[in-house]
Amino acid sequence: MSTSQTAGIPDGTRFVAPAAAARRREALAALRSLYAAWGYLPVEVPALERFDPQHPRAAQAFKLTDRDGGVLALRSDFTPALARFVSGGGHGAPASGALRLSYDGLVWHFIDPELARVREFTQVGIELVGASNARADAELIHLARESVRVVGLRPQVEVGNPAYVRALLDAAEVPSERESEVADAIDRKDRSDLEGLIDELGTRGPAADALLATVDLYGDPSVLAHAKAAAPTPAARAALRRLQGVIEEFEDLSELQLDLGMARRLSYYTGVTFRVYTADFGQPLLGGGRYDGSLLPYAAGFSLGLERLLAAAEQARARSDERARSGDPLVHALDDVLARELRRAGVSVVRSLAPDRATAEREALAAGASYLLVAGEVVALAQVTGDAGDAPATVQDLIRLLLSDESARGRGEAQP
Amino acid sequence: MTGVAGRGAADQRLVVALPKGRVLPRALAALEAAGYSVAVPEDPRALRYEGGDLTVLLMRNGDVPAYVELGVADAGMVGRDVLLEQASRLYAPVDLGFGACRISLIRPRGASGPIAVVASKYPAVTAAHLNKAGIAADVVELRGNVELACLTGLADAVVDVVETGATLAANGLEEVAVIAHSSVRLVVNRAALKLKPESLKPLIAALRVANASSDAKPTP
Repeated sequence: MSTSQTAGIPDGTRFVAPAAAARRREALAALRSLYAAWGYLPVEVPALERFDPQHPRAAQAFKLTDRDGGVLALRSDFTPALARFVSGGGHGAPASGALRLSYDGLVWHFIDPELARVREFTQVGIELVGASNARADAELIHLARESVRVVGLRPQVEVGNPAYVRALLDAAEVPSERESEVADAIDRKDRSDLEGLIDELGTRGPAADALLATVDLYGDPSVLAHAKAAAPTPAARAALRRLQGVIEEFEDLSELQLDLGMARRLSYYTGVTFRVYTADFGQPLLGGGRYDGSLLPYAAGFSLGLERLLAAAEQARARSDERARSGDPLVHALDDVLARELRRAGVSVVRSLAPDRATAEREALAAGASYLLVAGEVVALAQVTGDAGDAPATVQDLIRLLLSDESARGRGEAQP
Repeated sequence: MTGVAGRGAADQRLVVALPKGRVLPRALAALEAAGYSVAVPEDPRALRYEGGDLTVLLMRNGDVPAYVELGVADAGMVGRDVLLEQASRLYAPVDLGFGACRISLIRPRGASGPIAVVASKYPAVTAAHLNKAGIAADVVELRGNVELACLTGLADAVVDVVETGATLAANGLEEVAVIAHSSVRLVVNRAALKLKPESLKPLIAALRVANASSDAKPTP
């Protein structure tokens, strides 16, 4: 810690080298044009704010002292500043109808920079203000998904509705001072903790059962039917209907799944919330949801951390490079006729430049190839001859083997 | 190249982080009972078990949440005591029942003076408890043998795990208050549960079933 005082840059901050900076700008430009294409207008808000103890992230604010002794804070989140801006009416938009805003810029969090978290990062996001219905929720979920696709990643979205958990807490008459504990256990899917709390609170009946069930209600939309059957109150059923409405806005549900146990920040998020993940990256890339009545009467939005999004893209790129390398052509050829035949079938073949067969075999082996085509025949090199199974005798055998092997491997690993 | 991309996306082999030490045999037994074979290498210094149905990573119990949080491991097994101390937000869908203990406030038998200094391996849990109990005491973080802090006068009380209470009794100490109950939990990375449900949901279900039918029931 003391080193940060005397040398280098503060903990949790970074330099960005030119190549990475270029990628940041490219991604930012793509995100900006995505939001612009959907009618979201760019806005900017000050990076210096008056410190407000009521701010949702007050505990994480970097504080400074103003000349008059007042306390200032570095921007820790865009949404509250935008809400203030919208409430003030300074946006010049008509009083009725939805307002679509997009933003990006640095935010600062006064936290321990542990577990790969930074203290200064770029937040990019949008807010859809003045409307609250399933169509608005779905628009945000769609754009959340597309935001991840912009950097070449495949999104997987989880959608929940904390209003459902809220309704169950009310139905079970959980005392308000214990609500956050119960919601926390639900959000962590910790059935054991949740059972303990429900026991301790003496809650019984359908509401308690419905609370316990939330920890396993995630996955495809069939969970909605399960929940509906057990929903104890009109408010709970309404929350489920809203989720159903959101789902119905999508034709293709392959990238969406539901999680009725989403219950984070229950006092802030009042409606449909969502997070976006991508394969082989252990942390969410984006999160957002509806916060009607928290900062504005009707509003929802999402934000992503540009650094994390690009880190995920970078990892995916590195992995695909690695695969491309390990997928180096398995076949070398001294026989051009056979090589052409294989290439036509979609198999990559490297033309050996060696002067004779022995050298060609040695070079092919060194390059990691498994087969050599020479003088009209297929030669299986050392690495594969040890395998059980038959060595392919003809080019047709080889084509069948290589192509079916490829698809067989894909199928095999898809099995749980 | 379509085959190549497909292969990566379909890679569903699970990585599980397990704590070294006393819990490990129970953790491996729980996986076996749930129908997952684990290839334990002959070299006892191995840090990674390949082969079998799962890849297993071995580490200090306090490191399990970090590996799972960052997604290096899809799931892990770790005591609730560690999760409480780290204020973990990981999914914890299965109480595995074993490793049961209490986190308690401990003092020398008969001590009645004010508590000014409390030593613990669990500084966050300790501070939260003192705050809730309205005790204004300093917390000293120690790494091991916290009972010694009490016996030597470094602290007026300690917060530590108690299994049977035999060690306490032998050292003239007693439990003053039980702060929390703990047992080993299955923890799951949040993204992994949504990205690999085909692999993780069966693991969760199988561990629940195996646990329910074993006699190692969790202490209430």
